[in-house]
Amino acid sequence: MIPIEYFLTFGAILFCIGAYGVLTKPNAIIVLMCIELMLNAANINFVAFAAFTGDVIGQVMVIMTISVAAAEVAVGIAIVLNAYKMKKTTDIDSLTSMRW
Amino acid sequence: MFVEYTWLVPLIPVLCFVIVGFFGNKMHQGGGYLTIAGAAASFIIALLVSYDFWTSAAYVDPGYVTSYIKWFSLGGHDINIGYYVDSLSCLMMLFASFISMLIFIYSLGYMGEQGKRKRRYFAEVALFLTGMLGLAASSNFVEMFVFWEIMGLCSYLLIGFWGFNHPEGDDKADNAASAAKKAFIVTRLGDVCLMAGMFVLYQAFGSLDYTVVFNTANMAAVNSDTLMLASLLIFGGAIGKSAQFPLLDWLPDAMAGPTTVSALIHAATMVKAGVYLVARCFPLFVQNIDVMLFVGVIGGFTAFFAATMAMNNMNIKKVLAYSTLSQLGYMFLALGAGGYLMALGMQQGSEELIAAGALGYTAGILHMANHAFFKALLFLCSGSVIHSCGTEDMRLMGGLGKKMKITSITMLIGALSIAGFPFFAGFWSKDLVLETALDAASNGASGWIFLILWILGVVTAFMTAFYMFRLWYMTFAGEPRENAQHCHGESPHSMSLPLCVLACFAFAFGFVLLFGFDGMFTIGLNAAGLWQVGNGDAEGAVHYLVEFFTTPATYLTIALVLLAIGLAYLMYNKKSIDPGKFNKHGQSALYKVLANRWYFPELYNQLSWKLGYGVARGVEFFDRQVIDGSVNGLSNAVIEGGEMASKAQDGNAHTYAGVVIGGIVTLFVVALALFCVFGGI
Repeated sequence: MIPIEYFLTFGAILFCIGAYGVLTKPNAIIVLMCIELMLNAANINFVAFAAFTGDVIGQVMVIMTISVAAAEVAVGIAIVLNAYKMKKTTDIDSLTSMRW
Repeated sequence: MFVEYTWLVPLIPVLCFVIVGFFGNKMHQGGGYLTIAGAAASFIIALLVSYDFWTSAAYVDPGYVTSYIKWFSLGGHDINIGYYVDSLSCLMMLFASFISMLIFIYSLGYMGEQGKRKRRYFAEVALFLTGMLGLAASSNFVEMFVFWEIMGLCSYLLIGFWGFNHPEGDDKADNAASAAKKAFIVTRLGDVCLMAGMFVLYQAFGSLDYTVVFNTANMAAVNSDTLMLASLLIFGGAIGKSAQFPLLDWLPDAMAGPTTVSALIHAATMVKAGVYLVARCFPLFVQNIDVMLFVGVIGGFTAFFAATMAMNNMNIKKVLAYSTLSQLGYMFLALGAGGYLMALGMQQGSEELIAAGALGYTAGILHMANHAFFKALLFLCSGSVIHSCGTEDMRLMGGLGKKMKITSITMLIGALSIAGFPFFAGFWSKDLVLETALDAASNGASGWIFLILWILGVVTAFMTAFYMFRLWYMTFAGEPRENAQHCHGESPHSMSLPLCVLACFAFAFGFVLLFGFDGMFTIGLNAAGLWQVGNGDAEGAVHYLVEFFTTPATYLTIALVLLAIGLAYLMYNKKSIDPGKFNKHGQSALYKVLANRWYFPELYNQLSWKLGYGVARGVEFFDRQVIDGSVNGLSNAVIEGGEMASKAQDGNAHTYAGVVIGGIVTLFVVALALFCVFGGI
């Protein structure tokens, strides 16, 4: 059996890649994809703990997360699409009109 | 059986006030007839109540009737509202409603040309009458104070009736608004004292009902210093309302109001409220001999002080105003001297002194009623003169006696009465006042003070006769001067009729003393040891006639009065003595001091500018800088802080994400550090 530390380390690396992408990438689509990466990092942690402790609840949570993430992506893509229609760009550094 | 309806007496005028106030413009004479009817109804009810009270045997003991309901509670003690009827309140209600009725009738003529303003006038005088009658009928101090303040408000409103545009074009009246303000603010000083006195009483007795406060046993249980403090503070209220020294200067200025208002409020009724208050609180005041001495000193001094200023004034209403002050001083002198004698008698256990003190009380009350009649008469006469001449300056009058017969004769009766000419009303009461003062002078350690006050009182009697006849001769005798030449002649009947009625009373009211009514207006302890007004023994006519006409002092007063009338005749009618000789034609220092009212207005102004305005400036500074400053500073800090914090919302999703992640990392690091330091959860 693979020790749980491997799974957790893998999740943490995945999360950091996602976070890096969210913080640095100007393209809104890529940012959305990076958010998916971070969600999946959390999902891996869930599954790992569920398998490790034998508790099936963790796997149920993962299914929940995936469905919520699907909805979230649908909304996110719709926002990006509309922003593109208005501003002709998906660069989130230039979509800064929602401010003080 | 009528006594139970006492509450109607003040209620009817307030109904008139409401009706006239709302619908006066649609009624005849701006609601004047309704107001007169209301005053008449109040008078009739007061008459029935008084008749019932004075004739029914059921009220002899304890000498009062009171009934009340709970108004509100304060810390476990009840404040009530109700009526309290005894001889004093009966007398007050009777003469206040009667004189008010006559003055309202007179107002139909005097204010006849004021158009729409009549509604305001009649509504306000009706409200005023409520205040006066309510004051007389109140059963406790709080209720009394409410009516006291209603009167103060109406006084303010009516003094300022002309506002800034007087129809007669009198230059003195163009500041009626500031005269009203002055009257309001100066009396307010007294009212604050009265309120403080009420607080002290409430603290000491736990109730402000007359029956509780004036109960002998209750008063004995309270520290005598507390009683003295309460008495002095209450007397402060009386000083303000009755315009005694040093708060006397508002009354002459109050003459800026219509003459009917001067007659009603500033001669016959409201200024009597202070005298009434002292008479009502007599049982309290008499507990301390020094309080009564103080009352007497203030009264005697004011009598003299105010009379001096009437000597050379040229304004017909101002002369009467000073004379009012002076006569009010007499009333306080009588009450003070009577109370002094009574307090002394109670200390020494002397029945004789107590009886003499009760006589002083009678003198004060009787002078109050007499003065109401003759001073209302004099003011209404002066109003009649002003109405037909269009000026208040006596230098522009003269020779009106031929054109205005009724006014001149009734005013002569009033002048004789106030001067104390024998057998006129003023004679009896004024002589009784002076006799009480003289009586007090020969008793007790402080008697010498009353000797001085008696001398001042006698000199005042001389001055009163002089200035009243100076006024009469300058107005009605001699050659018609400027304004008198085109005077309209006698005033309408609605004005001359009340003059005739009042003249009868100004002549005859003094006889109540002779016909056995004096026992009603005395004060003493009854068999149960409780204070009560009335139920004294009537002395009868013979007693008083003997007492008056065997005392040398009476003849001295009569002689001085006759001398003063003669002097006024020679100076202002026959002109064989030039008044200019005495005052160096208006250049002597005394003349200037009197003409400037002893520099009292100046003093008031300086005080209010230097002290009042200075304090106000300080308060304003504190208000603006400290209170406003802290509130504004706080709100500014919040606004500035918000502005700055809102800059963090720069709309860049990267920044937000960075902050979120940075925050989570920080939390994580902190949690880890805590975990390491404390070694486990």
